[in-house]
Amino acid sequence: MNEEQERAELLAALHAAGAASEEDERELEALLAADPSLVEVVKDFQDSIAALASSFDPLETPAKTLGKIQQQIAEEKGGLLGRLRRWFSKS
Amino acid sequence: MTEFRSKDPEELVAAMAAGDSGRALSAFYAQYASTVLALLTKMLGSPAEAEELLQEVFVELWRRAPQFDRTRGSVVAWVITVARSRALDALRARKRRHGDRQFQYQEGDALMTERKRPDVMASSTRWHQALRQAFQRLDAEQRAVLELSYFQGMSHGQIADTLQLPVGTVKSRILAGMRSLRNMLPIIHRAIKA
Repeated sequence: MNEEQERAELLAALHAAGAASEEDERELEALLAADPSLVEVVKDFQDSIAALASSFDPLETPAKTLGKIQQQIAEEKGGLLGRLRRWFSKS
Repeated sequence: MTEFRSKDPEELVAAMAAGDSGRALSAFYAQYASTVLALLTKMLGSPAEAEELLQEVFVELWRRAPQFDRTRGSVVAWVITVARSRALDALRARKRRHGDRQFQYQEGDALMTERKRPDVMASSTRWHQALRQAFQRLDAEQRAVLELSYFQGMSHGQIADTLQLPVGTVKSRILAGMRSLRNMLPIIHRAIKA
């Protein structure tokens, strides 16, 4: 692993762990733009931390929540946000 | 409402991106809601607040579905990222309301304490248990920095202040912890399949 790859791995780890500064994020984006293969390093770390974060015992969700979510979305679909979303998804 | 024909997470997200807030969203919710609720409850420490936030998280996931990029990570990683981000917003808002008291780190704040709740589902799998055990096998120093960064939303500078360590040491521990986690996952996969 060369110096640049080691630097990218560190930045990817900080990014996935949620500890990267804005400067770190900008540097990581620049390295990814220069070498797209580094995306795999970021992806591996993100999948690892996501696996950890989804390892808690699942909890029963309240019965009415899905209905409330769908109601809120239906209201948004009819409003300005919904029209913008449709416009963006077409373009 | 009939069930969505596919349970493939990427297909569900694509259908949501196309505007499906019925069957696709229901199937997506069925797949991830209990996991998201567990994460929110763990991070916020308040089941009531977590249940309230659950609605906002799924509305946001539906809104952001057109931006989902499979080349940047899996669907579960995307779901967890959005949920974590909303939980951190809620923690910051709570801090603003109650003042910015110095955070005292105690090992196990986020992950190690597993209190049993009556609503814990029977579907807690060997996978869940193996992952938690794997995390507990991490070096205590690596565990501490990952807890503070990921579950408390601290930057490397804030962690360095909290643990009174040089920033370089914090970064090295985060990298070492992330490498260990990444290396453990295939081993757990293989052990569970065996």
